[in-house]
Amino acid sequence: MPTPYARASQAAPPSDCSRVPRTLGSALAVTVLVAVTTFLAFAGIAVGQGSTFRVALEPPAQLDPAFASSDAEIAVLNAVYDYLVDVDGDNEIVPRLARSWNVSDDGLTYTFELAEGVSFHDGTPLRAEDVVWTFDRLRDPELELPTSDLYAIIESIEATDDLEVRFTLREVNPFFLYDLSDNHAVVLREGTSDAATAFNGTGPFRVEEYRTGTRMSLSANPEYFMPGKPGVDELELIFFRDQVAAIDALRGRQVDLVLRMPTPLFQSLQGTPGLEAVSVATNAFDLVRLRADRGPGADVRVQQALKLATDRDAIVQVVTFGLAAPGKDSPIGPLYGEYFADDLELPPHDPERARELLTEAGYADGLTLELHTPDTGDRPTLAVVLADQWAQAGITVDVIVHPESVYYGDNLWLEVDLGITGWGSRPVPQFYLDVMLACDAVWNEAHWCDPEFDELVRFTRTTLDEAARVEAYHEMQRILVERGPIIIPYFFPQYGVIADTFDGFELKAFPGRSDLAAIHPR
Amino acid sequence: MGRARASRALAAFRPLYATRLATFGSTVVLLFALMAVFGPALAPYGANQQVYTDARQPPSLERPFGTDHLGRDVFSRVLLGTRDIFVLAGLGTLVAVLVGTAVGLLTTYLGGATEEITFRVFDSVLAMPALLFALLLLGTFGPSRNNVLAVIAVAYVPIVARVVRSVVLNVKTKDYVAAARMQGESLSRILLREILPSVLPALAVEGALRFSYAIFLVASLGFLGAGVQPPNPDWGLMISEARNFVSITPWALYFPAAAISLLVIGVNLMAEGLATALGRTP
Repeated sequence: MPTPYARASQAAPPSDCSRVPRTLGSALAVTVLVAVTTFLAFAGIAVGQGSTFRVALEPPAQLDPAFASSDAEIAVLNAVYDYLVDVDGDNEIVPRLARSWNVSDDGLTYTFELAEGVSFHDGTPLRAEDVVWTFDRLRDPELELPTSDLYAIIESIEATDDLEVRFTLREVNPFFLYDLSDNHAVVLREGTSDAATAFNGTGPFRVEEYRTGTRMSLSANPEYFMPGKPGVDELELIFFRDQVAAIDALRGRQVDLVLRMPTPLFQSLQGTPGLEAVSVATNAFDLVRLRADRGPGADVRVQQALKLATDRDAIVQVVTFGLAAPGKDSPIGPLYGEYFADDLELPPHDPERARELLTEAGYADGLTLELHTPDTGDRPTLAVVLADQWAQAGITVDVIVHPESVYYGDNLWLEVDLGITGWGSRPVPQFYLDVMLACDAVWNEAHWCDPEFDELVRFTRTTLDEAARVEAYHEMQRILVERGPIIIPYFFPQYGVIADTFDGFELKAFPGRSDLAAIHPR
Repeated sequence: MGRARASRALAAFRPLYATRLATFGSTVVLLFALMAVFGPALAPYGANQQVYTDARQPPSLERPFGTDHLGRDVFSRVLLGTRDIFVLAGLGTLVAVLVGTAVGLLTTYLGGATEEITFRVFDSVLAMPALLFALLLLGTFGPSRNNVLAVIAVAYVPIVARVVRSVVLNVKTKDYVAAARMQGESLSRILLREILPSVLPALAVEGALRFSYAIFLVASLGFLGAGVQPPNPDWGLMISEARNFVSITPWALYFPAAAISLLVIGVNLMAEGLATALGRTP
């Protein structure tokens, strides 16, 4: 950079000689540094040395593992701590802190062997008691943490050896390993009292400096137990409130990775030289639901009319640029393999038939509905498209867009008659059925209760007979198409864009769970 | 007599065309006003009419402003949005001017504790930027067209009242006002016949300026998602919706942005011309 130097020397009065030796000195230092670096690089010693990887994230609000939930928050946890078991890109359970495990024949006892030689960032070695303490905290009903329901099924947890932990369940849960890999369930040191600020994990990166709302600087944990990880020396998490600004930073190479972005921004980055745009199919979806316990939605003909008036192909094309997978009004998506009823047919788009059904239901003069939606993702666009499509069936829709924090925070999403909800991707479908569609589900946003469906949910939750579960899942999807209160037009992919100077990045369905420790310079 | 009245009515508009810039400004405003009236008759497509096969078309003869990501005609939306902005910003300003004038005249003329309290409350409202104040109210009462209108009126009443007050303070000590009072004229007669005429020039300029700020406020609220809700063709909302698509359909952003700029510039030039003609600095 010759220009600033030249300007500096011109600006300095001729009599000021103090600058000369300083300039000389720094020039000398730079030369030596360059020489040493070049030597090391040629000698093959410096692979990955001095490398910094910078990620653009939304500012985290809550970093106590028990409360963390956004992608940015989980990305921090995943870098600083370790999960007991992890879920890979194919939705399979893989070892992390637990090196191996076995399940008793009755499906009630899980015994885990922990990896050896693991220690926390403060130097204390990991022991089975740490795992016991972590999960006891997460399930303690008195603490009322968000995970207490999830882990209510656990009868007891005990350390059976220095590095051996045993979980005993109250009833069979075929998805228990997935529950153990829940986003909140990173292992803390026994007795941690300031979980939100201590950052004393066993993970691949150590927190060096955290400036709330601005950035978090982390360094590689040299004692990390997983071979070859982490692949960079330093990790910089830089927080952006505005997605467009984050993309601009990536374009200007001020960051190396952006996780999650709206479809059009991703679309505009595809094919940019020096950047690699990655997308991954997920089971995340936008759901349109009409309350079934009151108002027009209590009549199943109205529910059916809304579905018939919805042109799903058009929605996939214009709302998601054709990048999403079409949905079939059930949360059990194509990613779940044989659980997904591939051959199930939806009634075709038919606004005329929808109008007839509405007339039969007593809305011959048309129907006016308020459609509520959070302001994030493609949801407002979906609302606007539905308003136009449903107008052709005589349904007038007034769209009301809420800030996402208000819509979910104030429980509007459970209250309103007609609303759109974004649901994240989960490794197994049972979660959605338990929390959204069972009669007593905590987030039964459609206020729907179908005894036959409810019975099936109960059955799939506990049966160990895999073939029977597949059968039951198919039956549920049939019921939802026939009389369910929800429309799921698509399963949207997640997007990430990374500078092509780095390699080893695998985007996960929950982007915050992508393994930043696997990334290394190309 | 009819003729005399007509020419007097025309003369009232003369300040709008007093200078060359004012002429330009007033003409722009007039054109937009005509669009607001006749827009629905002229628009080739509906505001939320989505022709999927035409999505993301650049401007052409058939689609002068192009189409947006959903295949909606941007020209029709800009055209149809004009009425919205005139109704919301115009009506909001009108209410603010009427209420502000009434409050300003009455409290300032009467003086005393009423004046003191009213204007200290107004001062506290003015301490907050109008946009923040509007966001606060809309966040509390929920976004809707009527609330946007009400918010503009509430935000601008104190400003108008203060302008009125500055004139009234000056006028109320004048001899002709004292004379009218001593003749035993009624309060309403003093306010409307003796004082109001002196306030009118200032009010005309202030009203025009408020209108331009109100246009901006409506557009800003739409952009921030707190104002008019989709799929209404609000200009600010259109910019916000087109923002993510700027590299794909830039025209969907440029045209509503240009419409806002042009109208605001027009109203400002008109206000400046008014001020010059009426001998006031805006």
